[in-house]
Amino acid sequence: MEARLESIPHTEMLRYLSYHGSFLPEEIRADLERCEGLMLRTARPRLVWRMFALLPDSLLEGTDYHPGGEDIRAFLYDCDSVIVMAATLGIEAENLIRRTAGKNLADSVILDAAGSAAIEAVCDNFCEDLAAAFAPRFLTDRFSPGYGDMPLSDQRAIFSLLDVSRRIGVSLSESCLMIPQKSVTALIGVSDRPQPKRGRGCEACGNYENCCYRKEGKSCGI
Amino acid sequence: MEYDRIVLLDGAMGTMLQAAGLPMGQVPELWNITQPETVSAIQRQYVEAGSRVLYTNTFGANRYKASGCGHSVAELVSAGVRCARAAGEGFEIKVALDIGPIGQLLEPLGALSFEEAYDIFREIVLAGAEAGADLIVIETMSDLYEMKAAVLAAKENCDLPVWTTMTFEKTGRSFLGVTVPAMALTLTGLGVDALGFNCSLGPKELLSLIRELREWTDLPLILKPNAGLPDPATGKYHITPEEFAFELKEAISLGVSVLGGCCGTTPDFIRALAEAVRGSSPAPRAPKVRCGVCSATAAAELGGVRVIGERINPTGKKRFQQALREGDIDYIVQRGVEQQDAGADILDVNVGLPGLDEPDMMRRTVKALQAAVDLPLQIDSSDPTAIEAGLRACCGKAIVNSVNGKREVLERILPLCKKYGAAVVGLCMDETGIPQSAEARVAIARRILEAALAHGIEKDDVYIDCLTLTVSAQQEQAAETLRALRTVKEEMGLHTVLGVSNISFGLPARETITRSFLTQALYAGLDLPIVNPNQSAMMDAVAAYRVLSGEDRGSEAYIRRFASAPAPDAAAHMPTGEMSIGEAIMRGLKQETAALTAAALKSMSELEVVDTLLIPALDRVGERYEREEIFLPQLINAANAACAGFELVKTSIAKRGEKNVSKGKIVLATVQGDIHDIGKNIVRVVLENYGYTVIDLGRDVPPATVVETAVRENVRLVGLSALMTTTVASMAETIAALHRSGHDCKIMVGGAVLTEDYAAQIGADYYAKDAKQSADIAKRVLG
Repeated sequence: MEARLESIPHTEMLRYLSYHGSFLPEEIRADLERCEGLMLRTARPRLVWRMFALLPDSLLEGTDYHPGGEDIRAFLYDCDSVIVMAATLGIEAENLIRRTAGKNLADSVILDAAGSAAIEAVCDNFCEDLAAAFAPRFLTDRFSPGYGDMPLSDQRAIFSLLDVSRRIGVSLSESCLMIPQKSVTALIGVSDRPQPKRGRGCEACGNYENCCYRKEGKSCGI
Repeated sequence: MEYDRIVLLDGAMGTMLQAAGLPMGQVPELWNITQPETVSAIQRQYVEAGSRVLYTNTFGANRYKASGCGHSVAELVSAGVRCARAAGEGFEIKVALDIGPIGQLLEPLGALSFEEAYDIFREIVLAGAEAGADLIVIETMSDLYEMKAAVLAAKENCDLPVWTTMTFEKTGRSFLGVTVPAMALTLTGLGVDALGFNCSLGPKELLSLIRELREWTDLPLILKPNAGLPDPATGKYHITPEEFAFELKEAISLGVSVLGGCCGTTPDFIRALAEAVRGSSPAPRAPKVRCGVCSATAAAELGGVRVIGERINPTGKKRFQQALREGDIDYIVQRGVEQQDAGADILDVNVGLPGLDEPDMMRRTVKALQAAVDLPLQIDSSDPTAIEAGLRACCGKAIVNSVNGKREVLERILPLCKKYGAAVVGLCMDETGIPQSAEARVAIARRILEAALAHGIEKDDVYIDCLTLTVSAQQEQAAETLRALRTVKEEMGLHTVLGVSNISFGLPARETITRSFLTQALYAGLDLPIVNPNQSAMMDAVAAYRVLSGEDRGSEAYIRRFASAPAPDAAAHMPTGEMSIGEAIMRGLKQETAALTAAALKSMSELEVVDTLLIPALDRVGERYEREEIFLPQLINAANAACAGFELVKTSIAKRGEKNVSKGKIVLATVQGDIHDIGKNIVRVVLENYGYTVIDLGRDVPPATVVETAVRENVRLVGLSALMTTTVASMAETIAALHRSGHDCKIMVGGAVLTEDYAAQIGADYYAKDAKQSADIAKRVLG
């Protein structure tokens, strides 16, 4: 399964741009289009994944890794295996966003939103492919370090399990942030029974703490 | 070490250790001390399989990765050397001190500085040499800058041979975008003993990279591939030892002499390899056919015309001098970006100004430039310390501009070129000045070449400048320059460089003379014209020459250049009609804003233009943003348009040699541990456009740096940003440190996770929910 990125949804880009539903001028629409194209041409999505059997106490077989926090345990309650994944848009996208900032900050902000939406699209596409490959078994949504009470420091274990730096060129900072920034790590449960779509609603969202909509008592609508 | 025979390396270490029971997550190097016999036993299997060079189990034995394991780097390294030595007993084995990546990304993308990286590697090298390693191997690097830090650390702190291998993808680039030519040019220049690839791919995939590599270097080649590509679901590698050995035989036919295995390989792979290569020797290699200079991500290959952009130079440029004096590196970097966009292939970097710390400025400029552009650099200075600072900081193979025929200059500068692997520009002048005849200039060129060769610099890396004199003053000299150039090129077979702009000094319609001279020089054999690439006439002449010389195959680049060109000068005289500055800014129109500002400056003072036109316009944009009538990209576009106006104001002030108008200084920083800086960058643009001087400390900034800067620059407003919940703690720490220092300043904070309450709780004076509010706060605090 290769990383796939065919298009970047504009609605998602607008969400990352904190678009509050005011009138969208034609030139901004054109900017979205242009930045989407630029990001699609530049990004080189890569991904790495591995499947592990789940042992009692949520231990991943062949490792000494127990995913951290209570939420992930509940999330994987019904699963016998877990897929650990890491995906990135690559240094190419990172450089595009950074270097554009020096020339045209507005474009850089839109490209940043395009990058965020793009890496989510890569993950969505991957999960679609996985679901097809694993049918008739069932997959959970993605759960990433930082969601719920899963600590960010779980990144270190995931990086070591998948050899993320060597395999797809993502680097982890001392504070557990990933560079390139447009990168995602996640766990996906595998089960014999259908899994609820838990990834919807504010509490399950990776942006829960950061969400500008929620701060104002609104919702982004997902 | 002899490379005319095949040298067999070992296979994977990490997976063997895990198979022997090393728990995942433990520092593998710890076993050098706690279970040396297990480490040696694995290595012994490799020796018995045929390995004659053993890599020590020290891949991650650096200060950063091994911290907290209970042993020092020196202990882990010397125990590692002992294990390998013990494993090789009874055999003629070389022990290679293995050095892997630090595990932290270097600047500009990461937080680790080049100098810190050097220091980390130096510690390993000193320990390894002390422990008796026979050579040093630096492997699995994907960052050329980190590789350079390691190579310098090795070469400056011991006399052992140095091998280097990097990790590439199928695309022919490393994860950080390093190309094969860039690796070859840079590392060959730095004087490593052998180079090649390891990890990343299987043998089959790496062969095409080897084919490319050998065109760029004459050094011995190393190949240490994985056992094919891993199965994604299980992580297991798929090819057999026999397949592995079979595919590597082809590498030998390509001239590779040093072979081994990386991830997924075992002693069986090395045994199969040993059997497959028994009795064969590496195929003889043709000399390299390509040369040039490079950044980490792009090479400027010689053979065609390569334009050197001359605009990063303070000579005769008031605004540039002001930027240098104010340490405004961004202004300088913009000149680089501009020239790259205009088609320059190489950037000349001259930041010398009397009274300025040139070495420091050179180092900072080189680092900032290579973060923003892909082009190779030409370090232009007469100060050897500044040249060395530039060469050291440069990631890639640079050019040094320049030496001349003076003995003492040659003796001082050429060793630097050799050490850092730079090409060098030789000016055809000496103690007696610039000779009037072509013959005398060529004679100096010969002397320069001789001296360079004597210092071990390759002929390919000597570029001769036959010197342009002003035609209005010494008319017959134009022809002499061209004659000398032709001789240097054709008879001496050297590459040539020439600054052409000087030719037209003192004449009207300078561009016409300069362009004609450029064209003639190109026909005389000029490889590297130094010009202003922003003058489209010059780049047009180069584009045309590339068609006529056959370099531009099928005229493709030429057609692209002119198919998309706007009608001449349409942009320069855009009608502004009745539009006001306010409207131009609101609509994000840069050129119109600049034109209107220029007009306003004719009748108003700079300060009046700022206070009565630019700032009120920005205020109105900000109000509309607050009312959600426009949104973020439009706000930024407006700020950028205003920026074009402010730039004219600054230029106008610089022309009179006066200090800039500033409404006060503000320090901005994204706090330590956080790398999300886009919000901070937006705030910066808006604040600058309100006329504040922003000292931008960047991202991942330690509290101490914020405090030091605030105190040193006597700043009364500090802005901090943090995006993550985890880094708000570090924001609180920074605020506490500012309070502790007793420095009298206000602190404003912003970032996605913050709220008004939260900001107050961690001791901030103001919470800015967006860029507009930060400008309001600045007005309140600084006026």
